[in-house]
Order: sequence, then C-alpha cells, then structure tokens
Amino acid sequence: MTSAGWSLVETAARLLTRNEREAVLGDLVEAHESVWQGLLGVLGLVFRREAALWKSWRPWLAGFGVAMPSSFLLMGASLSVSWSYLTLRCPELLQKSTLTLGSGSLVLLCKALLLIGWSWTGGFVVGSVSRRTLWASAALYFSPCLFCLSRFRVESLSRFCLLLFLLPAIWGVHQGLRLSRLKLSSAIVLALSVTLMMLPAWSSAGQHWWSPPRWTLNWALCWPAWYLVAAAWSGKRHVWLIDRLDSVFQGGRHGE
Amino acid sequence: MLGEFEYLLITSAAGLGENAYGAAIREEIEATTGRKCSIGALYTTLDRLETKGLLKTWMGDATPQRGGRAKRMVRVTARGVRAAKEFYDVVTRVSHGASWVTERTRSGT
Repeated sequence: MTSAGWSLVETAARLLTRNEREAVLGDLVEAHESVWQGLLGVLGLVFRREAALWKSWRPWLAGFGVAMPSSFLLMGASLSVSWSYLTLRCPELLQKSTLTLGSGSLVLLCKALLLIGWSWTGGFVVGSVSRRTLWASAALYFSPCLFCLSRFRVESLSRFCLLLFLLPAIWGVHQGLRLSRLKLSSAIVLALSVTLMMLPAWSSAGQHWWSPPRWTLNWALCWPAWYLVAAAWSGKRHVWLIDRLDSVFQGGRHGE
Repeated sequence: MLGEFEYLLITSAAGLGENAYGAAIREEIEATTGRKCSIGALYTTLDRLETKGLLKTWMGDATPQRGGRAKRMVRVTARGVRAAKEFYDVVTRVSHGASWVTERTRSGT
C-alpha cells in the first residue's frame, strides 16, 4: 500500500471505534491488501455498523417520531410567537386584535414558554433515545427548516423567526446526551407545565374544515414530555421495557 | 441454530486455537471455502457471536508484521462448541440419503 493510499484507508477507519480500528488496520497490513480492497473492507464494515443501529426502534423513533414532525410543528409555533411579539410592538395591529397590552403580553409569555418546553423536551428525547444516530436525527430536524426557510415570504417578519425553537432544542439534545433520563419530580413538573399551558388551545377548532384542531397538533409536540415522565417513573422497568423491545426487534435475526 | 457463516467462523477459530484472531480466521475461511470473506462480515459476525456468548474476544499484543497494530483474539466458549456441534449434527442428519453423500460413500467403499 502506498502511504497516500494508506492514509485514505486510515481516514475511513476513523469512523470505527478505537479497538476495532486497530484490529482492522492490522489485519489489512498483515494480509497485504491493496488500497482499494482495504478501503472497500473498511467502508463495508462502517456501513454494516450503521445499518445494524437502524435495526432497533430507537433511531426511527428519534428521527421520524420526534425530530422530523417536531421540526415542522415547532416552526409554526416559532412563527406564532414572532407574530404575537409583532402584534404587541405595533399599536395598529394590537388595536385590530381583541387583546390588550397586558393580556397580549401574557399570551406571548405563555407561547414563548410553551415553545421552549416543547423544543427542549423533543430535543431531550432525540438526544437520549438514540445517541449514535444523532447525525441522522439532526439531518431530519434541519431539512424541513431549510425547505421552509427557502419558501418563507412574509414581509413584516424575518425568515429566521421560524428558527426560534432551535436554541432550546439543541440545549435539550445536549442535556439528553448527558443525562439520558430526568428525575421523576422534574419530569412531572415539566410535563404538567407544558400541558397546562396548552389548555387555552384545546377548545379552538382548526382554521379550515379539513385542517385538524390545534390541540391535536399540540399533543404531537407534548408527548415527548410525557415520555420523559414515563421513562423517569419506570426506572428499571423502563430499561426492562426497552430491552424487551430490542429483543423483539432482534428476535427474528438469529443466524443472519 | 447457527447460520452457515457463523458455523464457519466458530469452526475456524476452534481449529486455530490459541492463534485465532481476525486475519487468521479470515485466511482460514478463504482457504477452506475458496470464497472471499469480507472484513465487514467477519467483524459483525464476531460481535454477534460474542453477544450470544458463543465466543469471547479481547485485544491482544501489537506485532511488527501488523504495523504495530493489536490483534483481536478469539476463543470459542463451551456454549459455542455446543452450538457448532449441534449445527454439524443437523447437517449430517439432514444430508443422510442425499445423492452426493451416498455416491461419496459408495466411491469410498
């Protein structure tokens, strides 16, 4: 192997864990494999490792159950917060609405806190449920943002007001990676706060006959908070449940 | 029951004894079957068999002919031996009466 080719193989092998990298590179040297064969071997192993992660339910839940749908809904919530803020700042808009400055401020505060709560809990679940596929969850989080940013056309608002949820969400992911589970008391307080702040929206119907009522969309954002309560409450039972789910998913794969 | 490749891997490792590690097992499988054995298949199967408790692996010493890189040493556990034996017995039983087996028996006698 040439030194340039070898460094290419070594770079690809960085995607493996330290011990595995050591063993695989040593095997390639010992077998006098060509650069091409070595590179294919290493990339094949990396691909198999990644594919194995997706045999579990966790990355699917984190990516397609939380990250992607939350991203769309939280952009809507971010827009709502921005619009409420704009209404308060502009006397003409405030006059047109049925709100006073005091009640408008309260609504804005509630919406902002709700946005932070939803974003943080969603991020926490994404970070804690599937750490090793975080890159995929992040891609599923950001791709709807890029799509909506490119199509956003509201003159009075900056397009970046769609992304108000990002900071608390990233903070939540960071905490989820670090802690993996909340204390039961904290989780209950968080979930109850988020649910109670959602109450005013429960009675409102959808804007059109074909659109779902707002509370259904709100529940789609709220369930991560209750998932955290369930995870904290179950403790060992939660671990048992996850192990059972993992074994169910892997049960049919003996002899592969 | 074991899969075909799992059986090959356990049997090769058992045959190599103290010298069973990634590259040696791969070489043994390729030499015996005449088929290419990819590093990806080898290492993911090693992990799977270790999770099932059929193998035990650990990092060995680094050697100069490997560019100073350590080996992943392999030892077949008692459970692994039982699983391989069970696979072999099943293959032997199911093959009984098959044309290629009876022809071979006749040509041998």
